[in-house]
Order: sequence, then structure tokens, then C-alpha cells
Amino acid sequence: MSEQHDHDAPASPYHTSDRTFERNEKLAERVAIIESLLTKKGLVAKDALDRIVDMYENDIGPMNGAKVVARAWADPGYKARLLENATAAIAELGFGGLQGEHMVVVENTAKVHNVVVCTLCSCYPWPVLGLPPAWYKDAAYRSRVVIDPRSVLAEFGTMLDDDVEVRVWDSSAEIRYLVLPERPAGTEHLDEEALAALVERDAMIGVAKAKAP
Amino acid sequence: MRDERRARPDIAEMRGVTPLPRKSGEMVFHDDWERRAFAMAVSLAEQGLFEWSEFQERLIESVAAAERVDPQNPSRGYYESWLVSLERILEDKRLLSSSDS
Repeated sequence: MSEQHDHDAPASPYHTSDRTFERNEKLAERVAIIESLLTKKGLVAKDALDRIVDMYENDIGPMNGAKVVARAWADPGYKARLLENATAAIAELGFGGLQGEHMVVVENTAKVHNVVVCTLCSCYPWPVLGLPPAWYKDAAYRSRVVIDPRSVLAEFGTMLDDDVEVRVWDSSAEIRYLVLPERPAGTEHLDEEALAALVERDAMIGVAKAKAP
Repeated sequence: MRDERRARPDIAEMRGVTPLPRKSGEMVFHDDWERRAFAMAVSLAEQGLFEWSEFQERLIESVAAAERVDPQNPSRGYYESWLVSLERILEDKRLLSSSDS
């Protein structure tokens, strides 16, 4: 948390570099006083506060991205908008919250397989995918997927034919990529909700394919 | 399971000048008091003691006030403005006074 990396750093309002120890102690004291008073009044409880912090730190899942993919599979008009302007198309479904970054959706086909990495840190489209998995932040994945994507994909169990072109996309503070996986065969009869259940996080990073029904 | 512990989109995905500071999706807290101040505001709103929009209005004001002189170098950090907003809404709603409970 302490290292500030301008590839992914929040804007200046979030910096606390100019906050002195004394100032911080005073702020902590103000918060402790409020917590003590509210606790006495029975309006807050430590367990409830801990639960809230845990929930907001962790509870944004890849289901949002799965809904985007399912809509694109089901609705050709939506898919066209998604490939044209992903940020706007994703906002149509009510997902947003990125702070100035643009989303770009790259489409997998029978001949092209896309995979996403952030080579410098761990830029990740969290409003649609939740928190990045540990391996996404790992130096080994970040360097190897660029040099030798086929063997990295093979380690994830994703085998590609030799004639499939692999494209590696490097996410950054400005652009966050999301992979639109190929719609699996035999899913013509499925509705959007059933389609979304086939789309897991790894398929939207591009290290896996969508599940078969 | 997920439904029992779901972040409210109106809080988790605030737009404009008051989005929660995040780094690759993970909330950025520099000190534990920031977590406590965050959670108290959310907890009180969850109990219906005020509407989230009422808190957010105060947060927008506090952030704007901190950026008035120099937007690139605000006079206080995000959660300091958050704390100011919390203190204001507690006072406006008289949640700290002992006489009305």
C-alpha cells in the first residue's frame, strides 16, 4: 500500500504524504471519541464495523463482468457497442466507478485469443472483475505471459491450436482490458443468466475459455 | 452467501468527486482510523439513521472545500474530509446528543 506507483496511483486527494504524525494522532483521537460515544448509545458495534470494512474491501465480484459478456453474446447490438466503446456499454448495465480509466474489450474468435496482463503492477478492471487474483500480481505471470504466452496459457489448462494468434494486452492506468470470450457451442437455447454462469474470472482475463454448458 | 454480505452500489461505486479511493479495486486505507470512520458512516446509513445521499452531499462539500485553494494539493486527504462529513451529519442529525434517545 505504501509504494506509490504512478502507473496505478490514485489522484492526489488520496495521498497522505504531507500528514504529520501529530496530525494523524489527532485524527485518530477524533474518530475514537466518535466511536466511543456512538458505542455508548448503542448505534455502532465493533463487530458490525469490522464486517463492513471486510465487505467493502472484498465484495466486488466477477459477476458484473460475466453479465457484460452474457449480454454481448445474447444481443449483437450490445456487442457492437461494447467493442466500440466499452466504458459506455458497461455503464449501460450500471457498472462503473473507475476513476478516469477507459475500458477496452477485446474479442476472442476461432483464430485470435486475447490475454490481459499488467506488466508494471496490477492494473485491473475491478468494477467488472472484482479484486485481482494473487497470480495476476505475481512477477512470474507479469513477465512470462508476455514472453511465452502459450506455455503460460497451457499451465492454466488452455491449449490453443498452432494457427491461433495470441495477443497480449498490457493494462495501465489509462486503459483496462477485458476479454470477451468465445461463446461456447451448444448454448443457443440459454438465456443471459444461464450464459453468465459459464463465464468465470479467468475467461475474462483470457487465461481460460468460457465453460461448456 | 453473497447476498448476505453485499456492498451497496450507491456507496461502493460513488462517482464524481467522491469515489472511494481504490488501487486496482482494493480500497486504500492508510491508517486504521480511516477504516473506523468509513465503517461508522456506512453502519449508521445501513441502520437508516440517515440516507447515503445526505452523507454524500456533505462529503462532496468537504472534498470541494479541501480543494478550493489548490485542487492539485488539497488541504486534507480523502478520509479527513470523510471524518469532517461524519462529524457534520452526526451533529445535524443530533446523533451524539444524550437527550433525545
